[in-house]
Amino acid sequence: MSTGLAERIRAESARLAALCVACGECVRACPMTAYAAGVEAAAPNAVAAGMRDVLQDGEGTPEARAWIAACTRSGVCSPACPEGLDAAFMLRLAQWRAKGALGTPPLIPVKEDTQYSPKVKAFARLTLTEEEQAKWL
Amino acid sequence: MTENAAIFWYGCNMTRHGEVIRATTRFLEAVGVVAEPSGGPAHCCGSPKDASARINEGMARRTIQGFNQRGAAQVVTWCPSCHMNMQDSMAPVTPTNFETVHVTEVLHARQEKLRPLLARAVPRRVLLHQHLGFNGRVPVNSLVADLLRLIPGLELVEHPYRSPGHMCSSLAGVPGALADAQRATLAAMAETGADTLCTIFHSCHRDAVSLERRGIRVANWIHLLAESAGWPAEDEYKAWRNAADAGAAIGAERMEAAGSVAVEKLVLPELAKPPVV
Repeated sequence: MSTGLAERIRAESARLAALCVACGECVRACPMTAYAAGVEAAAPNAVAAGMRDVLQDGEGTPEARAWIAACTRSGVCSPACPEGLDAAFMLRLAQWRAKGALGTPPLIPVKEDTQYSPKVKAFARLTLTEEEQAKWL
Repeated sequence: MTENAAIFWYGCNMTRHGEVIRATTRFLEAVGVVAEPSGGPAHCCGSPKDASARINEGMARRTIQGFNQRGAAQVVTWCPSCHMNMQDSMAPVTPTNFETVHVTEVLHARQEKLRPLLARAVPRRVLLHQHLGFNGRVPVNSLVADLLRLIPGLELVEHPYRSPGHMCSSLAGVPGALADAQRATLAAMAETGADTLCTIFHSCHRDAVSLERRGIRVANWIHLLAESAGWPAEDEYKAWRNAADAGAAIGAERMEAAGSVAVEKLVLPELAKPPVV
């Protein structure tokens, strides 16, 4: 039986947070730490613990929030996890939560392009024939 | 659509590159996979609305239900975000009646059918633009490299640099990250003596085409395969992006047909943006 996305985010967050030992290997492996304020100066395990806190309905630390915001889905955190967890998915879950996906106030800046769909359609009208637009959009 | 046919789910922002959608569909058909292209906002994975699980889920559900109703056995993805979202958040929430495979996997698995099509030499020294992300899910970096090696006359050079992220649009949202990646890419081009940067994904291509102003050539892997097959696949987005006057490059008649107001408001500002580096 399937559940909604919000339920999936909550359930997977709880499951993975319970397994995470916050050792910080995911932070050490991450190629984006230089772009996250305070992360390179912080202890990796503290940053990981802050990320885990976000998965558990907490606000995390400023460094953890900066790290979550800088995640670009490089995915190298997952093979680095000594517990064999899908750390990349943990970051995806943390990013959803930090953006306020579950209805709580966002913890990180949310950049949403309100013209996203109109732009996609405008380009389509330039690059696709009318027949292609009718069939492919 | 016939039962068990495939869908080529090209994503949203690929509408900037109609020729890539067309050529990819033709290559899929040539290797025996008849896949009707589907994309745009009506077939969204939901990720543009990540700040709301409710809206994200609604968009994703509509996409899956539409694909299910069409009876496709396979959905062939292009966009790595769509592919990962389908596996991580869409299918676990809304059951699917199809399997999800990436276009590089499909073409790579049938490369012996592709090989005879690639008859024309493409004498270029090519560096493949590779990211760290998504490659752990689908080994796109090696799959595309293998496909490029089918092209006669093309020399693929090696360099260890891999950009962070799963494609350049993810880096664009982090101040400084895309510029650093582009500078590192240009350095790799210089170190290897490559003349052409080959992009794998549309968002990387969109951001990389302006690097042609730095004296290199930029092409997507589908452009290179199409060139070798002798198929038309003119990169209009690149021409518009690098034109001194994008509106003039598109042409008044074409802008009028697409809706001048929308093109001026939504398309031209992107094309006129200063390059990242």
